[in-house]
Amino acid sequence: MKFKKFMRTYRPFTRAGMLESVAYRANFICFLLGEIMSCFIMFFVWKAVFNSTSGQDFMGFSMNDMVVYLFITFLTGYLTYSDGTYAIATEIRDGSIAMRMIKPCSFDMCFLFQELGNKIFNVLVIFTPIVVGVEAYKWVITGSCQFNVVNFLLYVVSLILAYLISFYFNVSYGFMAFYLKNLWGADILKECIVNFLSGATIPLAFMPPFLASVLSFLPFSSLSYTPVMIYMGMYSPFEIVYKMLFQVFWLAVMILISKLVWRHAVKRLCSQGG
Amino acid sequence: MGRMFRLHRIFVAQYMKNLMEYKVDFLTGAISFLIGQIVQIATIGIIFSQIPDLEGWGFNEILFIYGFSLIPKGIDHLLFDNLWSVGYFIVRKGDFDKYLTRPINSLFYVIAEKFCVDAFGELFMGIVLIVYSLIQLKLTLTWYMIPLFIVAVVFATLIYTALKIGTSAIAFWTKASGHITHMVYMTNDFSKYPTTIYNKVVRTLITYVIPFAFTAYYPASYFLGKGEPLFCIGGTVIAAVVLMFISVCIWNRGIKAYESAGS
Repeated sequence: MKFKKFMRTYRPFTRAGMLESVAYRANFICFLLGEIMSCFIMFFVWKAVFNSTSGQDFMGFSMNDMVVYLFITFLTGYLTYSDGTYAIATEIRDGSIAMRMIKPCSFDMCFLFQELGNKIFNVLVIFTPIVVGVEAYKWVITGSCQFNVVNFLLYVVSLILAYLISFYFNVSYGFMAFYLKNLWGADILKECIVNFLSGATIPLAFMPPFLASVLSFLPFSSLSYTPVMIYMGMYSPFEIVYKMLFQVFWLAVMILISKLVWRHAVKRLCSQGG
Repeated sequence: MGRMFRLHRIFVAQYMKNLMEYKVDFLTGAISFLIGQIVQIATIGIIFSQIPDLEGWGFNEILFIYGFSLIPKGIDHLLFDNLWSVGYFIVRKGDFDKYLTRPINSLFYVIAEKFCVDAFGELFMGIVLIVYSLIQLKLTLTWYMIPLFIVAVVFATLIYTALKIGTSAIAFWTKASGHITHMVYMTNDFSKYPTTIYNKVVRTLITYVIPFAFTAYYPASYFLGKGEPLFCIGGTVIAAVVLMFISVCIWNRGIKAYESAGS
């Protein structure tokens, strides 16, 4: 019963988000093409790196692994991306956040369901082509189909956890941006740091051992590195369980932080016009 | 021309007052860009800790190319950033009326209005990388390389600006074109590495279609003693002039097609 009411409250937000993303589909596709360019740049850089190394492998990765890594990392980054920072900071600035506060629904849930609606279109447009493309590439290179259903399903679970961590992290950071004022700068700062710390720019395995072990304990590796490694089948069953529990742990921490920040910020909030 | 310079000074002074009001803003922006670059350089550093060279290019040479790429990009970012707003919202909201009703050239007005100090992060990093890599490489520079360097930087900057002018002018017909500018602009990352690592399609694209290779790799390879001056520096000049000509034509036609927004 409770669940039904919950869904009835939040479904309209999902619908609105979905319509929004379909309305701006041309923008979305152009953006996607712009962003995926960086994947191709890194593809050529890695190809040159592999040409310059004497052996077949580069620190345990073959060129084949590297291609899978690049594109699945891109996909993971895109699907776990959350616009919370910008959306919240903008709403605080122009005062429209007041409208959210007078509605009889939870603040973060509204955002979450709206963004999920936004994601549906993204998933349709990029998820299937990238996964099929990557698998086809592996098939052509190795000569046999290597698609692993179990790893794939575990990847999806881990991806959802990663998205939720990212969402709550961005909600918290959105309030930070409120203090920092320069939204755009603060957002770019966050992107760069998170991409590096989460192993999206370069696999954690390539980093100096000390740095890698520190980073694997921070929440960022849960955002990208964990799901990607699961997809690639780099983890043993024990490691998968361990890493996923780790994701759940950081999700709980992020939810807690976002609630605390929200409570603190509401007291300070001084809406302008609205 | 003199009038334009005087006006530009007034605009900058105006903007500087604005900036002093928001010091934290400025620091966040500049530091963000600085850290963004440091992260990318750390990535290159990690790769090079495992390999002696990248298809014949050493670590310091790559740093030089990378550093060079940041200078024109940073200058364009500093002076011509307002063009992004044209494609994203100025035209869509009908705010472009303002630029047409003033007694100065609309393109000049759009450009001069804003001054983006976030770019100092990029410029600072670019200079540091160039100086560092030059010391490490122990390159001997001849006197005429300094004017050539300035020429290369100026025209490389114009390549960025011209691409932004041309793509944002599309908004005069389509109402919004920020995403097209973004798509074209993102190809600039290809110029940070030697074009020899790419395949033929990409190399042709970034040399002749969207000539970002002339904003960094070609001029930089000349200064590293690995490129023909005529092609590397001359190409930059020609690419910039041709692109600028096309872009200004698109802009001027676009203004004629511009219809203000409804409300």
